[in-house]
Amino acid sequence: MAGIIKPQSGFVITPHKVSICILLQVYAPSGQLSVPFPFASISQHNRLGLFLIALTKSCDDILEPSLDEFLKLLKEFGGLLENWLYDHVASRLSSLSSPDDLFTFFSELRGILAGPETNIIDDDQINLDPNSNLGMYLRRCLLSFNNLSFEGMCHLLTNIKAYCQEAFSPYKMSHLDDASNDPEAPLEYENMDLENIVLQNFTEELESRKRSNERVPFHNHSSKALFSLIEDITVSPGQKAKHNHRIQTQTHTPSIESSDVILQRTNWQIQGYLSEQADMIEKLGSSFPMSAFESVLKLLQKVAPELHRVHFLRYLNSLYHDDYPAALENLHRYFDYSAGMEGSDFVPPLSCMNNGRYEIALLSLGMAHFHFGHPELALKVLTEAVRVCQLHSDDTCLAYTLTAICNLLSEVGISNITGIMGASDSHVSTSFSVQQQLFVLLRRSLKRADSLKLKRLVASNQLALANFDLKHVQRPLLSFGPKASVQLRTCPINVCKKLRLSSHLIHQFDNESSIVTVDGALSTSWLKNQRKPTTTLVFPPESGSESNCDTLYSWLQSSSVPGSVLQLVGSSYLVRVTSWELYGSASLARSNALLYATCFADSSSSADLSLAYGKLIQYLAVYKGYKEAFVALKIAEAKFLSVSKSGILTVKLQLLHEWALHRGHLKLAQQTCDELGALASSVAGVDMELKTEASLRRARTLLAANQFNQAASVAHSLFCKCYKFNMHVENASVLLFLAEIHKRSGNAVLGIPYALASLSFCESFNLDLLRAAATLTLAELWLLLGSRHAKRALNLIHSAFPIILGQGGLELQSRAHIAEAKCYLSDSSISVSEDPDIVLDSLRQACEGLEALEYHEMAAEAYYLMAIVLDKSGQMEQREEAATRFKEHITALENPIKPEDPLVNLL
Amino acid sequence: MGITKENCRNELRTAIRQLTDRCLYTASKWAAEQLVGIEQDPAKYPQSHTRLQRDCSSIRRRFRSTDEITSTPLAGTSYVSTPVPEEENEEIDSDFYLLAKTYFSCREYRRAAHVLSDQTGKKALFLRCYALYLAGEKRKEEETIELEGPLGKSDAVNSELVSIEQDLAAVRKNGTIDSFGLYLYGLVLKAKGNENLARAVLVESVNTYPWNWSAWLELQSLCTTIDTLNSLKLNNHWMKDFFLASTYHELRMHNESLAKYDYLQATFGCSNYIKAQIAKAQYSLREFELVEAIFEELLRIDPYRIDDMDMYSNVLYAKECFSGLSYLAHQVFMTDKYRPESCCIIGNYYSLKGLHEKSVMYFRRALKLDKKYLSAWTLMGHEYVEMKNTPAAVDAYRRAVDINPCDYRAWYGLGQAYEMMGMPYYALHYFKKSVFLQPGDSRLWIAMAQCYETEQLRMLEEAIKCYRRAANCNDREAIALHRLAKLHSELGQFQEAAFYYKKDLERMEDEEREGPNMVEALLFLANYCKAQKRFEEAEVYCTRLLDYNGPEKETAKSLLQDIKLAQSGFP
Repeated sequence: MAGIIKPQSGFVITPHKVSICILLQVYAPSGQLSVPFPFASISQHNRLGLFLIALTKSCDDILEPSLDEFLKLLKEFGGLLENWLYDHVASRLSSLSSPDDLFTFFSELRGILAGPETNIIDDDQINLDPNSNLGMYLRRCLLSFNNLSFEGMCHLLTNIKAYCQEAFSPYKMSHLDDASNDPEAPLEYENMDLENIVLQNFTEELESRKRSNERVPFHNHSSKALFSLIEDITVSPGQKAKHNHRIQTQTHTPSIESSDVILQRTNWQIQGYLSEQADMIEKLGSSFPMSAFESVLKLLQKVAPELHRVHFLRYLNSLYHDDYPAALENLHRYFDYSAGMEGSDFVPPLSCMNNGRYEIALLSLGMAHFHFGHPELALKVLTEAVRVCQLHSDDTCLAYTLTAICNLLSEVGISNITGIMGASDSHVSTSFSVQQQLFVLLRRSLKRADSLKLKRLVASNQLALANFDLKHVQRPLLSFGPKASVQLRTCPINVCKKLRLSSHLIHQFDNESSIVTVDGALSTSWLKNQRKPTTTLVFPPESGSESNCDTLYSWLQSSSVPGSVLQLVGSSYLVRVTSWELYGSASLARSNALLYATCFADSSSSADLSLAYGKLIQYLAVYKGYKEAFVALKIAEAKFLSVSKSGILTVKLQLLHEWALHRGHLKLAQQTCDELGALASSVAGVDMELKTEASLRRARTLLAANQFNQAASVAHSLFCKCYKFNMHVENASVLLFLAEIHKRSGNAVLGIPYALASLSFCESFNLDLLRAAATLTLAELWLLLGSRHAKRALNLIHSAFPIILGQGGLELQSRAHIAEAKCYLSDSSISVSEDPDIVLDSLRQACEGLEALEYHEMAAEAYYLMAIVLDKSGQMEQREEAATRFKEHITALENPIKPEDPLVNLL
Repeated sequence: MGITKENCRNELRTAIRQLTDRCLYTASKWAAEQLVGIEQDPAKYPQSHTRLQRDCSSIRRRFRSTDEITSTPLAGTSYVSTPVPEEENEEIDSDFYLLAKTYFSCREYRRAAHVLSDQTGKKALFLRCYALYLAGEKRKEEETIELEGPLGKSDAVNSELVSIEQDLAAVRKNGTIDSFGLYLYGLVLKAKGNENLARAVLVESVNTYPWNWSAWLELQSLCTTIDTLNSLKLNNHWMKDFFLASTYHELRMHNESLAKYDYLQATFGCSNYIKAQIAKAQYSLREFELVEAIFEELLRIDPYRIDDMDMYSNVLYAKECFSGLSYLAHQVFMTDKYRPESCCIIGNYYSLKGLHEKSVMYFRRALKLDKKYLSAWTLMGHEYVEMKNTPAAVDAYRRAVDINPCDYRAWYGLGQAYEMMGMPYYALHYFKKSVFLQPGDSRLWIAMAQCYETEQLRMLEEAIKCYRRAANCNDREAIALHRLAKLHSELGQFQEAAFYYKKDLERMEDEEREGPNMVEALLFLANYCKAQKRFEEAEVYCTRLLDYNGPEKETAKSLLQDIKLAQSGFP
């Protein structure tokens, strides 16, 4: 019993089927001429045939339409015949009042089947071929009727009664009012019925009369209730347009006129519905309507208690709404009942048939803990999962588990995992650092996935490796013996290769048909959400339960590429964005982000999408100034209003902080920076990257307030933290910032070593843009040391210029220009008064950029310099202008006007 | 005023008549049992009258010889005397009513209801609705079997609920409803899921007519937390004590429950019901000896009793009493083999014999008879565990847990099953659940500690915490102390280790047990005291070690020499 799903018991005759049979009888009455009685033309006849085929195709029901719904459909369909068919079905159904009526009905039905011996059929006569679709259906109905016990027959009769009862009261009211039926009619009808019953003395019927007024079987009720609920949910605001095609296939809304509507909800459909909802939950995260869906699930559970996937959906639902106890409870319940077998019965893995596949439970639990921000618990559970997988030699699950561990390690700042992983995981020697362990793990899981031909897993592992390569210098793993000379640098070519390989996935899925989905038996939508590291860690915890609905799902989808693959490919583009951002190609980063936002918007989760939008907004701010960025931000906010806000909120805070710093609103800067810090450590774990950023911003705010000591101490502690968690890329910028502090405090000698250190970090991690910025800072530091070093500084600036001008943001460009101008001014060998344009050009450009950024302090400096130069070269008019601009900026800096932008008030 | 026996008797006699008149057989059976359960004054009545009451205090004599005083009634409880409602003489029951009653007694419920369909009067109304309700229930049960579909659709509902509810709601609005009608109304409301109103209605019912035990039971099933229980506004009647005792037991407040029963026994000294309830509570407290004695006595007085006998079989199982269990199984089998309890007892017997397949068959039969029979699910889970069919075991336990999430045994079973499958960390979740429900059970704590201790987890700190809890709650097998000592010494916390070894030693001395644990404790303590330079103490332990043969003796000798040396050489 346990762990084994009950075989689908066959075809059960229901009132709905009886009414289909009635129509069948109309369609093919025995021994009639080619166009039987009610039909006017052959085409009309054929129309009914098509309708019937559509009906019979969906017969393995969980819920059937009520008579009302059925008649409505019939009406939409029947055209001219509408009323006749309608009345015929209704009267035929209500004439079935005793078991014997049923008996006669079915023996009549048998008559419309052509006997096997009648090979030569009269052309004029209509006979149902027993092997045709309709014939098969009819035979199935007959067989199941013949198999009925007497009790079964009584039940059928009762059900038919209830089925009619539900439909007819409104039916009489609305349609037959003209047929001189006063409101008392139903009552009369009942009394008549009673007399009949007394005469016939059928206890069963007595019972049904009793229940006639009040009670309709739950069965019929539920379909309606379920209907309305499903509709409510699928058409939740904002999703309507996107999922319209799904609504059409899944829930049959009355507005649909096509005749191939799925009328009944088969077992498969329910499964499909559930898996679709699972996708929706994962996509929308916390904005998914929780309680409404929960009640649908409860209803489903009541109707089909053995459909355990419902528990899984309840788990997902509570997971994404951060209901920890409920999530845990439902997860355990699901796996207790299904033993990890449900869903994978499609391809039964022979080896573990008897034991159940509880390792999948562990995998899911681990990922749930990850989601809730309990990395240590997650690691413990996943370690156990590895062990159990090995015990049961479940390689597939092992591959997935290893990948999950990799993700955990790379996304969560765990400085020390020995003792958690330690002894139990034999393939990782504990002498390695976390990073080395992660690297080994990644490579192993890639290999494993490759050998198991789990394409999606391979792709996602490649992504993870690309991520790793992006931020880590490869060191030799051997601690002894001859060492190959290794350049201690990151390897962008590797990253690029991995990224390309991972997006090859889409071609594989393009070529193959939907069979491929079977190979992703374990977890497809789990993989969908492989995130790039800068995303918040929503780790989609689904596994082991998707195979057969996936087939259905891809069947439902028009495109041959499954959504999960699209999502995976999409995330490879997100990684590209990050990598180009780091390597310093702003244009490529921007174009990748744009590509992601346009091409993968449908298949990606809202969190990912908001991330891409955020990136684009940030680029706008850096390259075009704040005005445009704020406009874009407003649009994005409107778009993601209902969806997880945090992505957009972060961007907003970042933007506001920059803006405030530039305009000199230090209080506002402090406030936004604090809020950012609060965002970093939410309930669901600490986001290390955001945390680092927040403290860096805090230090910058302190610097802007000229609190050099405090800024330096914050930066120092940040450096230590980054070092502890192996965040070397971040360290490069922290070092650069330290140099900046010393520059501002006028202590160039102390600043230079920091700048140099930052430069070497940048070199080994191939951070070209940051390197250019560091070079610029270095040049500025040299310049501080005195005019003797102006030549050297100028050289440095010129070496950095190509990158800065090509890829740098407005601020960086302006800084470079100003620094260049300063070099010229302090260089005694160049006389500015003779050739003022050499300086003025760059100063003008600087001013333009800084005005767009509203960076008052720097702009004032630029105008000041400009005024001096103009003064020297004797252009008095322009000098005056520059001077007034200088004054404007200075006053703006000293008396910060209350920001009138509404965005600020939104805080 | 307290309860006088004679008052009680009179109230119960009237109640039995009234309840039987309304065909509330279970309630009247219960009342009758209590009536006989009131101890007779032996002087007044001849021997024959007290046949069913003989030996009724033997248990007390055996187990409570010292504290006779505690069983005197508590002073200061004042009872509301609810007047026994006089029978309204509705023409001394119409003939139709009599006919309906006979139909009802013959289980022809629909006929009974039909006969009463035109009758007015509270009694007729009640009986008609009640008959309809039962007819619906019967049909519902039949339907559940008939309708067993592919996905286990269990959508059979009592089809009469709606009409009964309408009728009763109307009468209640009129204010002409009696307490029996209220009881039925509560029943219907509960079945329809309207629990709050059901609770209110039932409270009203028992306040106006406290002798209907069925109403109390329904009310009890609606009190799942102590808060809901406390929020009920109940009149003080001696029936309330029965209710409270039983509800406390359901809420796992066993000691409070026992206290109530003790108090009730002062009046109902011979009540078999109370005895069985006490046995239940004691069983939960794991006082098996006492439980066995109670059941032996119960069987002697009432040999054909089947109620609660499954618990007796559990006790016999725990004590591995083959013959007793087989005798019990035979007896219940002869009495009524189609009772879930009987099947359960037989299942237990086969389980004890190690014939797990057969035992599963009987548990299945019990479950067929009663789908919600909690202990059968759990016991079947145990059997599957024995048969190494862990997925089936997990399934069975899970079903038990879903029927009653407070069943700590099933949670424990789930934990065990997962631990067997090598998933100790996953199992912890279940163990945590079970200890949460039964924090006073050392076995659960020990199981959890062992889970923490496993090779794979090695979370010794947590294990220590669990063992500490186990040691604090009456750890019979004394595993916890020894493990605590050992774990502490493994972790290098010698002071704590010494403390626990000492305690363990004391306990072993107390219970006069010997064995390797003793040697280990002595050896450790000798070494520890020596290291702490408490030579005299060390010497004592060493000398005790000398009593044992084997390598320890030699170690002890050399230890002694070292001590001597240390004492003389370096003062």
